[in-house]
Amino acid sequence: MAFHHKILGIVTLLYLCLFFIHLIFFAFKKEKIVAVMWPLLYGTLGLHTVGLILRWLESYRHGMGHAPLSNFYESLVFYAWCVSLIVVFMKKRLNYPAITVCATVISLFLMGYASISPSVDRNIQPLVPALQSNWLHIHVLTCFLAYASFAVSFISGFLYMFTWKNVIPPRDILDEINYRSVVVGFPMLSAGIFTGAVWAHYAWGSYWSWDPKETWSLITWIVYAVFLHARLMRGWKGKKIAILSIVGFASVIFTYFGVNFILSGLHSYAT
Amino acid sequence: MNAIKNKAAEQVTPPGKSLFQSLQGFIASIKFSIILLTCIALGSIIGTIIKQGVGPDEYLSLYSEHTYQIINLLGLNDVYHSPWFIALLFLFAINLTLCTVRRFMPAFKGSKKASVPEESAMMDMSMSFRASTSIDDAHLFSILKGYRISYSGVEGKVFQKGVLSKYGVLFIHTSIMLILIGGFVGLVAGFKGFMVLHKGDTKNTITIGGEKPYEKPLGFSIKCKEFQVSFYPNGAPKDYVSTVEVIENGKIIFEKQIRVNEPLSYKGVHIYQASYGSAPSFTFTIGGERVSLREKEAYRNDNISLMPIRFEQDIHNFGPGIMVAYLEQGEPRTVWFVKNIERFNEKIIQGVPVRFVDIQENIYTGLSVSRDPGIWIVWAGFAFILFGLYINFFQYYRRIYIRNIAGGYLVAGIAIKNKEAFKKEFEMLREKLNGIPS
Ligand code: HEM
Repeated sequence: MAFHHKILGIVTLLYLCLFFIHLIFFAFKKEKIVAVMWPLLYGTLGLHTVGLILRWLESYRHGMGHAPLSNFYESLVFYAWCVSLIVVFMKKRLNYPAITVCATVISLFLMGYASISPSVDRNIQPLVPALQSNWLHIHVLTCFLAYASFAVSFISGFLYMFTWKNVIPPRDILDEINYRSVVVGFPMLSAGIFTGAVWAHYAWGSYWSWDPKETWSLITWIVYAVFLHARLMRGWKGKKIAILSIVGFASVIFTYFGVNFILSGLHSYAT
Repeated sequence: MNAIKNKAAEQVTPPGKSLFQSLQGFIASIKFSIILLTCIALGSIIGTIIKQGVGPDEYLSLYSEHTYQIINLLGLNDVYHSPWFIALLFLFAINLTLCTVRRFMPAFKGSKKASVPEESAMMDMSMSFRASTSIDDAHLFSILKGYRISYSGVEGKVFQKGVLSKYGVLFIHTSIMLILIGGFVGLVAGFKGFMVLHKGDTKNTITIGGEKPYEKPLGFSIKCKEFQVSFYPNGAPKDYVSTVEVIENGKIIFEKQIRVNEPLSYKGVHIYQASYGSAPSFTFTIGGERVSLREKEAYRNDNISLMPIRFEQDIHNFGPGIMVAYLEQGEPRTVWFVKNIERFNEKIIQGVPVRFVDIQENIYTGLSVSRDPGIWIVWAGFAFILFGLYINFFQYYRRIYIRNIAGGYLVAGIAIKNKEAFKKEFEMLREKLNGIPS
């Protein structure tokens, strides 16, 4: 087995570890446990980064060097990485175990799915000509950072539906986290759509061709634009906004997975 | 400030307004934009669920006759170009324009000059302190990094920072209009077509697809000198390269290699490597002359004219054959040539012996050709939106007032957005100036 597969395997186990640490915290409510949580998350993110870089280097050994952003397996692993990165980036706001545990579960699920599912090809594959572009990097990076921010927005919207004293943060804080993560995600998604459009212009000759994946990213963009306006102008807060963030994330999931599995189009090589 | 102003603007129907005015209000309201955006999103969803732009047969194999009629009637087979979808976009553009104009008119008309509030008003502000030392300007400027003076008088000064952020929303919304305009310009003044070139071919027209495909002259010609495909060891395509010459008025302007992601541009026309394929070509000897013809490619000389019209890989287990059309005393006739059978690979047509010698696979390149004069408007829109989003979300506007009072001075600060961050900044300022909370 290639070295990067081993490293990423360990990363998956570390996410599992993080998950159990959270469970232990919820059982015993010892602050000390949370103190372990963050360094471990940093370590995991660090190793995750190393895994990605090793896979990148490995691809050069196969004579087709490209960033690990090109097939479904790589995008799952990269998505998990982005979720952790956003959590670390927003650490000050997200310093609540109820939130970090959800983020950990998402990363764990993505890594687990990537390494176990029989439908996912884990080999390094060569880049088809359409993907051989520098726009690939910036496009995928911005899209997945957006998806990761929206995952955080979803988590806070989801937790909003429940109350659990001293575990789930107070509602106004969840509301604020929700807004802040959309404030990060929306410009990222915009940048993702725009870089995709520029790339499509250079690769296919039209920046917008209503391909299902493009269309779904536009739908997602619209949902979050509605989110921002409803909140700012119509003064929506709380539950309505929480529901919008859940709808928005459903749209993200569909853009990412659904389109590949259900609809077909230019992006279908991403599966 | 902004939020407060908008609340007033949002009042859709103040009592005593006429129907027209309230309609006008509605068209410019955020409520209407939310409705429109939702409809646009729903329409787009339909377009991804129902297959777009295929023939009636394909729909009838998926849906009942009745459903197909509905699909056709509502234009659901081409949602994104259907009248109702375009109408939605149009309404959206109007809504956005009105909304933005109404939102920013007041800001441009009456931007009040900043002034230092009265002493009592400043004391009442949630963020304020007094200091009893004297202060010189140089020191102040060094502390208030990034601030600019917006008013200065004997009674005090007003500093501000993040002025640009107030225009973030204006940037965002005008850019969306720019993108829509750019898209419209491209639609009206641009084109997109296709060109298939075999090695050695030269063409000066492109095929514009659609219901009735037609040929459009380009104004210059493209000659395909070479086309190559390379593969990875696992068989996946690695690179497609067409080497082409641009020829205008009989002169070769330049030569370039076109690859996927590396189009050729000439006079605003972009030529992209889109696809490739192969087509057989057939070698004949016609009266001793060796001629290579493709399907539907006519051959003519003084004595004879013919055209291969139909190729079959295998004719009754006798191997590949080609049907050739020719004229016999003005009457169109056809005849089959079968390569592997002596009796059937040579014919006398109009007195000329014609022999079918060989079949060759000929690779051809598919180039997609487009022109979009709106593209730079769209690019500008993209850039401005991102800039607008950045200044709207990651910069914020704040003011600091400084009033000279007996025995020292009074400092107060306000911010509309991002109060928590400003509070911290203000607290640091107080410590630096040794202020006493007031
Ligand atoms: C897809 C289209 C649109 C996008 C992406 C968009 C984006 C935005 C963004 C990012 C903000 C800032 C929100 C915030 O600071 O939290 C905003 C604010 C706003 N938008 Fe839009 N917008 C769109 C369409 C519209 C339309 C059609 C209207 C008018 C009817 C409109 C009216 C406003 C107004 C009045 C504000 C508030 C500005 C303020 O007080 O700060 N927007 N928009």
